[in-house]
Amino acid sequence: MSRRFFSRTFRPGQVRLDDAEDIRQEIELYLDLRTEELVREGVPVADARRIAEERFGDTSGVERRLRRQARRRRARRGTLMTMSGLRQDLGYALRTFGRSPVFTLVAVLTLALTLGGNTAIFSVVDAALIRAMPFADAEELVYVNGYHLSDGEVAIRGASYPEFYDWQRRSRGVSPMAAVAGGASTITGEGAAESVATEIVTADYFRVLRAEPSLGRPFTPEEHERIGAATVVLISHGFWERRYGRDPGVVGRDIVLDDRPWTIVGVMPPGFGGTALDTDLWIPESMVTSPEVLEARGTRFLSVIGRLTTHPREAQAELDVIARDLQAEWPEAHDDRYAQIQSFRDAYLAGTGGLLWVLLGAGVVLLLIAAANVSNLLLVRSHARTREIVLRRALGAGSGRLAGQLLTEGMVLATLGGVVGMALAVLGLEVLTPMIPGGVLPGYVEPHLSTTTFLFSLAILGVVGTFMGLAPAASTARVEIASTLRDGGHGATGSRRRLRAQHGFVVAQVAMALVLMVGAGLLTRSFRAQLAVDTGTELEGVVAMRLSLPSHRYDADGRRRFVAEMERLAGELPGVASASVSLDLPFRGGSYGAYVFRQDALDERIRFHRHMVTPGYFETLGIDLVAGRLISEDDRGDAPGVGVITEAMARRVFPDESPIGQTMYLRPGGDPDMAFEVVGIVEDVRYRDLTTSLMADRNSPDIFLSYYQIPSSTIEVAARVRGDPGAYISQLRSLAATLDPDLPVFQAQPLADAYRAETATPRLAAFLMGLLGTLALILACVGIYGVLAFTVGQRAQEIAIRRAIGANASRVARGVLGDSLRLVVVGLAVGGVGAMLGAPVLEGFLFAVPPTDPVTFVSVGGAMVAVALLAAVIPAMRAASRDPAEVLASE
Amino acid sequence: MSGSDLFTGTLDILILRTLEAEPLHGYAIGKALRDRSAGVLAVEEGALYPALHRLEGRSLLESEWGRTDTGRRAKFYRLTAGGARHLAAESARWAQYSDAVAAILGRSE
Repeated sequence: MSRRFFSRTFRPGQVRLDDAEDIRQEIELYLDLRTEELVREGVPVADARRIAEERFGDTSGVERRLRRQARRRRARRGTLMTMSGLRQDLGYALRTFGRSPVFTLVAVLTLALTLGGNTAIFSVVDAALIRAMPFADAEELVYVNGYHLSDGEVAIRGASYPEFYDWQRRSRGVSPMAAVAGGASTITGEGAAESVATEIVTADYFRVLRAEPSLGRPFTPEEHERIGAATVVLISHGFWERRYGRDPGVVGRDIVLDDRPWTIVGVMPPGFGGTALDTDLWIPESMVTSPEVLEARGTRFLSVIGRLTTHPREAQAELDVIARDLQAEWPEAHDDRYAQIQSFRDAYLAGTGGLLWVLLGAGVVLLLIAAANVSNLLLVRSHARTREIVLRRALGAGSGRLAGQLLTEGMVLATLGGVVGMALAVLGLEVLTPMIPGGVLPGYVEPHLSTTTFLFSLAILGVVGTFMGLAPAASTARVEIASTLRDGGHGATGSRRRLRAQHGFVVAQVAMALVLMVGAGLLTRSFRAQLAVDTGTELEGVVAMRLSLPSHRYDADGRRRFVAEMERLAGELPGVASASVSLDLPFRGGSYGAYVFRQDALDERIRFHRHMVTPGYFETLGIDLVAGRLISEDDRGDAPGVGVITEAMARRVFPDESPIGQTMYLRPGGDPDMAFEVVGIVEDVRYRDLTTSLMADRNSPDIFLSYYQIPSSTIEVAARVRGDPGAYISQLRSLAATLDPDLPVFQAQPLADAYRAETATPRLAAFLMGLLGTLALILACVGIYGVLAFTVGQRAQEIAIRRAIGANASRVARGVLGDSLRLVVVGLAVGGVGAMLGAPVLEGFLFAVPPTDPVTFVSVGGAMVAVALLAAVIPAMRAASRDPAEVLASE
Repeated sequence: MSGSDLFTGTLDILILRTLEAEPLHGYAIGKALRDRSAGVLAVEEGALYPALHRLEGRSLLESEWGRTDTGRRAKFYRLTAGGARHLAAESARWAQYSDAVAAILGRSE
C-alpha cells in the first residue's frame, strides 16, 4: 500500500493530454496565420504552408521542448500543492487531537515514556561503549594480568614487583609498562580530615597513560628509585579545586597524609583520575614500599598497565613466551603462572558491556510495543472516524491525500511524544544515573544527552512516526464509499480489515511483552539466586580496614606483636562485639593462592587459597565450625602448625577419610617446618565470587592457617560492631594511628558494601529489565483493553440481539473474555518461541538459571494471562451490562 | 553559450516590450517582432514559443485561452506586474549597454 500511496502523491506530474493538445493547437494557429500572411504577401498558396513551416523551424522539436517545460512546471506546482496540503493536514491533525484529549494524552505519554526510557538507556550505552575513555590513545592501553592457570580467574590485581620488572624488561609488544597499586589515605592537617583515593605508581606510569602535570613537575627518576628518600605526591585537578581552591601556590606545599608530611610537587590536568579513574593522589612506589616487597616474587597485589606497540595477538604471544621462561627460571614462584593482556575498555566494562547492549535491545522492543499500541489507538479512532473519512472521500479528497492526513497525524503524535520523551530522558538520566551502583560502570562514564544520543532518538522517532501513520492509513485506503455510507458508517469491509490489524497488533504486543518479561524474570531469578548463595559468613555489621606493615620496621615477631595488640584493642572498643586480624577478607580484592601437599602424595600439588587468621576471625565473620576445632590462642608461632579447612577442601582432598588429624605440607618433599595438622573443618566460605561452584576445578578451595604461625605484612582488621558499621571507621583508623602513626590505612569500609559491589551488576540488570518488562506489560494491557473496548462497541448490536433472544449477561461477558484470551494465547505462543530464541543472549548473565528456565516461562506466561484477563474485565462487564432494548432502539 | 544567453535575454525583453500595450497571442507577438526589428532578428520563428512558455513559467507573463477576431481558439499572453518591473529594469540596462557599445564603436571608427 505504501508504494501506491507514495507514487500517487509524489510522482512528478506527467504531461497531461490536454497540455500536449494545447501546445499543438498553439503552434497550429501560428502556422495557419503565418501561411495566410504569406499568401497576402503574394506567395503562391501551394508554397505558403511549406514556407511558413520552414520559417518556424523544427516544429516537432519545439513541441517536445514545450511539453518538457509544461511537465517541469506541473511538477513544481505539485510540490507546492503538497506543501500547502501538509500545512492543512497539520492544522487538521492538531484540531483533531484537540477534540480527543484523552486519546492524545495516552498516545503521547505512551510514546514519551518509552522514548524517554530508551534515550536514557542509550545515553548510558553511548557513554560507556561509544564515547572515548579519558586517556590519550586509549585503544592502545592494556592491563597485563598475571594469573595461575589452575585458578581460572584472571584478576586485574595480582602481580608482584619482581614479576612486573621481568615483564617490563622483556616485553617489546607492551611498552612502556608500569605498575600501580590503588589504596586510600587520610588527609589531616589544615582543613577537615578527608579520605582520598591514592595510587602508588612506578616510574613509567604517567608515560604509559600519556599524562603530565598541568602545574608543577612530574616525579623524578630518583624519587622512584631511592626508597623513602623524598616524600612527594602529585594531586588531581579535582582535589586541587576541592581542597586548595585552585591555589597556584600549592606546588611545594606540605600535606599531611596518613599522619606523615608529604610535599606536593604537581597538579595533574582536569579529567585525569589515573587507572582508578577517581584517584586524587599519586605516590611513587619507593615511598611506601619496603625492599622486601620489591623483592618478594610471591607478594602479588599490583595492577600492571602498558601500551601496545604491536597487534594484541603478537603482544600476547610474546607474553606467553616470557611466562614460560619465568616458569623455568623460578619453578616455584612462577609455577603455572601466566600473563594475559586485556584492553582498558574490556577491563572497565567487564561483564557490563554486553549487558548494556541487551538492555538497549530490550528498550527497542519496548518501543515497538509502544508504536504498536499507538497504532492501535489510531486504528480504533480511525474506526470512529470512518464516516468522516468516507465523507471526505466522497467530497473529492483523493485516497493519497487522506493517507497523507493520517500519516501527518502519526508524525504529529510522534513529534509530541518525542519532545515530551526527550524531557523525560533528561529527567530519567537524573534519576537513573545515581541508581547505578558504584563499581558497575567506570567513573568516566557520565551518561548525558549527546549528539549521538539525540540522532539515535530522532531516527527512532522517524521510524515510529511513519509506522504509526501508515498502519491506519493502510486500513482506510480502500474503504468502500457507497457501502459505508449505506451502512451508516460501519463499513463492514474496512472494519473487518481493521479488526484484523488490531488483533495483529495485540498479538505482537503480547508476544514482545512476553519476551521482555521472560528476560526480566530470568535476570531476577538469577539475581535472587546470587543473593541466596550461602557466603558462609555474616558480613552485615562488620567493618574492615587494610594495613601494610613495612618489613623494614616489622620483622615476623614485630608483626605478631602488632597484630595481637590490634586484635585485643579493637575488641575492646566500645560497641565492638569481636575483632580479628587476617591476611584477607571476603570480597575485598586480592587473593592469595598457594600449593599444599598431602602426606601420602608429596609431589601432587593441590592449589588452594590461604587465609592466615587470628582466633577471633571465625566469630567476627560468623563462620561456623563443622568438625574438630578452630584456630585458637594456643596456636602460637612456636606451637605445631595447624590448619582449618573448608568442607569443599575436605570433600576434594579427603573424599574417603576423615581430614581431622591429617598432616599437610606447604612445600613439596615433606619439610616438617612447613607442615600443619588439619584440626578442624568449617562450612564453605565465599571469598571471591558468588557464581563459581566451589567444587569447580578452577575454584581453588580455602584453608585457614594461624596468623601467628605465618605472619603476613599485609593485614586486614575486621570488627563486628553493634549499630552502623560505617560509624566505626574513624575509631579503627585512630586505633591504627595509636599503634603506629606512620601506617597508611587502606580501604576502610563496611564489609557488606564490598559484598553489595559484588552483586551490583546483576542487581542493576534485574532492576532495569524488570522496569522495561513492567512497562511492556502495562502497554500490552492498554492494547488489549483498547481492542476489546472497540470490539464490544462494534458488536453492541449483535450482543443485544443475542441477549434479546435469551443469552444471559455472564455468557456475554465470558464471550468477550474468551476473545481476549484467544488473542493472548496466540501472543504468548508467538512470544514464547521468540523468547526461546532470544533468551540465549542472556546466557552469560545468568547464574543458576538456564535461559529456557521453564519456571520463568510458565510463571511469566501465567501472570500475563491473569493481567490480560484483568484488562478485559471492564469491556466484558460493559458488554454484559448494556440494556439490549436501548441498544437496539438507538440504531 | 554567452552568445545564446545574450540572444535569449534580448528576445525576452523584446517579447515583454511587445506585450506592454495589450495581450497578444503567439502569432501576433511574432509578427510585431518581425515588423519592428525589420528582419534583423532573423531566427527560426518557432523559437518564440519556448521563450513565451519560459517567461510564463517565471511568472513574467500569464496566459489565457481566448478567441481570435476570426473566432479561432488562441492562447493570449499578458504582461504581469512582475513582468512589467522586469522589463523596466532590463530596458534601463540595455540602454546603458547599447550606449556603451555605441560609444566604443563610435570612438574606434
